Amino acid sequence: MIVNRNITMTWWERIYLPEIFRGISVTSNHFFRNLIGFIPALLNKDKKRKIFTLYYPDEKVEFPPAYRGRPVLVVDENGTERCVACGLCEIVCPAKCIEIQPDETELEKERYPKSFSINMARCIFCGFCEEVCPKEAIVMSDECEIADLDRNKMFYKKDQLLISKNKLQKRLNYIKEIYGKWNY
Amino acid sequence: MELLIFFIFGGVAVLAAFLMIISWNPVAAVLNMILVMFCLAGLFVLLNAHFIAAIQILVYAGAIMVLFMFIIMLLNLRGNEPIWKSRDKNVLLSFLGFLLAVGAFIKLFSTLKASGLNQGTQIGEDFGTTALVGKILFTDYLLPFEIASILLLVAIIGAVMLAKTKID
Amino acid sequence: MEDFLITTAKVLFIFGLNMGVFAPLLTWVERKQSALMQDRIGANRADILGFSMIGLFHPIADAIKMLAKEDFIPEGANKIMHTLSPIICVVPALLTFAVIPFGGEYVIGGKHIKLVIADLDVGLIFIFAISSLATYGTVIAGWSSNNNWSLLGSLRASAQMISYEVAMGFTLVGVFMVYGSLQLTQIGAAQESFFRWGIFLQPLGFFMFLACAIAENKRAPFDVAEGESEIIAGYFLEYSGLKFGMFYMAEFLEIVTISAMVTTLFFGAWHIPFISSALILSMLSFLNETLANIILMLIHISVFWVKVIFFIWFQMTIRWTLPRFRYDQIMKLGWKILLPLSLANILVTGIVILILQ
Ligand code: SF4
Ligand code: SF4
Repeated sequence: MIVNRNITMTWWERIYLPEIFRGISVTSNHFFRNLIGFIPALLNKDKKRKIFTLYYPDEKVEFPPAYRGRPVLVVDENGTERCVACGLCEIVCPAKCIEIQPDETELEKERYPKSFSINMARCIFCGFCEEVCPKEAIVMSDECEIADLDRNKMFYKKDQLLISKNKLQKRLNYIKEIYGKWNY
Repeated sequence: MELLIFFIFGGVAVLAAFLMIISWNPVAAVLNMILVMFCLAGLFVLLNAHFIAAIQILVYAGAIMVLFMFIIMLLNLRGNEPIWKSRDKNVLLSFLGFLLAVGAFIKLFSTLKASGLNQGTQIGEDFGTTALVGKILFTDYLLPFEIASILLLVAIIGAVMLAKTKID
Repeated sequence: MEDFLITTAKVLFIFGLNMGVFAPLLTWVERKQSALMQDRIGANRADILGFSMIGLFHPIADAIKMLAKEDFIPEGANKIMHTLSPIICVVPALLTFAVIPFGGEYVIGGKHIKLVIADLDVGLIFIFAISSLATYGTVIAGWSSNNNWSLLGSLRASAQMISYEVAMGFTLVGVFMVYGSLQLTQIGAAQESFFRWGIFLQPLGFFMFLACAIAENKRAPFDVAEGESEIIAGYFLEYSGLKFGMFYMAEFLEIVTISAMVTTLFFGAWHIPFISSALILSMLSFLNETLANIILMLIHISVFWVKVIFFIWFQMTIRWTLPRFRYDQIMKLGWKILLPLSLANILVTGIVILILQ
């Protein structure tokens, strides 16, 4: 079926050849830029090529702090998780993939999660849990390579979720800044 | 050597022509006919007529037989339709065909006898070259050439007129 | 005996260059060039002992893969024709090179050597005749596969190829009117001076010929016969392994053939602009005649292939730049634009030649 899109072409466009040359000049421009940008990388002189594509498994992108990878639990300086097992994230999670079993503890925070599991196969990386958490205890990390062939392995237990605070500092600063705007 | 090549080409041509007639599968028939065209082109090359040979392949094998093929595929003839079977055991058709073949052969042999094939003809150095063929075509045989082209033009216009008829 | 040896050497050179260098290398070039044009990196995973050599080992990996794959013949397919059609595709692409000169005429050891396998009087028509046979490969492939997509593909292919063959023939009529010969060696030799190159005498002819040739080769933007997004892969849908590879090989060889033809007809064949062979010979006059001629021959051969490689690059660029035409647009371009334009080109060329005489 021919759809009439009411496009009227000028005479210059209708002879088609000039437009072809325009297209070819665009693509060959990219070609030569990349071709010449390849040479220093080939000679191991300059690691920064003109192509911004990366050799993925060998080289990895550093994600900006706004990137939402898998959610993790923050471990404080004293070696315990920040989470107080309030259950807010469990409730807010739209995918219903968080399961928490609270317990009492001698520490100042009085409550802690005895078990904390996230079903990564169901998590949609929405970041609601991070947003709702009153203690900034659950944050989105920059890890995204969590695929697996086994569903059971996607069921992350507490010890797999714990990550020390230093590693997450960038994200923690970021959420402070971004959520601070609304004065939570 | 030349005689050997001639017999190879000629034999294959006759064989392919025979296979073309007896094969049930229309595509196989077309392919055999292409083979015949090829062998004919080879025979032309043996006769030093390179131009005719090239044109033979270009026009017959390259264009006309492709059209045949195109039509066969467009209609998707598979060779097992009842219409093909209907020519089986058709006495009248077979008889007429036989008569045609016999007549053609008689005419062929009588012409060959009369022409005195054994003497052979002297050919010039530039025989069969493009230049010579062109010169002869556009001087001695200009009228037949033009008549043929007008005939083809009429055929083309007729085909276009037939095809242009609106169906609805 | 000597003649036989020389001819064998020429055949081996062309055959080796095409099958050994161009056919495998172009698969790599195609991937790599498209990658560069799209700001990607392209094939680089195949390596030998950790050296990936910017993906240069991929053709080898491809060859191994194709040899190891199952040679699949679908049920209800015509086995003989199914096997025959890839061969029919490859052979014309190779045969065309028999009449394309890759160098001029040289005196080596008192012998005149022409760098062309068969210096036919009907060179151009031979090329047309042979290349028109390539249609059968695709048509039979589609028909014998017993698959509706294949049949559609080969129907499209045959209709397209018949249409463009007509236009292609007419576009080149202007060229051999200008040079007064069908012989490719003579056409090449006539382009000695820069301003007698075909592109200056037949500019319109060049563009039309390139369009027709790419359409004949069924590559994008004229690849409706394959049309991956519409009819999966068209006529070679049911092929696997080595036969599938042969279709690709035919396509790549045809790219080389088209480039060689464009070079010979429009871009001065083996000549270098503004530097005539007499000039090179006089510069080399301190050597003896045979040696000077050999050097000249090598220069000419490399110039010719450099030009060919440029046009291969150009065709690849076109292929990765333009989107596929719709089927009716292809037919319209062929019959309503290229054919009348090429006829007009012939008319104008004829008038100009008449006036100049
Ligand atoms: S919202 Fe925060 S503190 Fe409450 S259970 Fe979830 S992670 Fe723990
Ligand atoms: S990111 Fe969204 S889906 Fe994933 S655990 Fe947190 S709230 Fe649930």
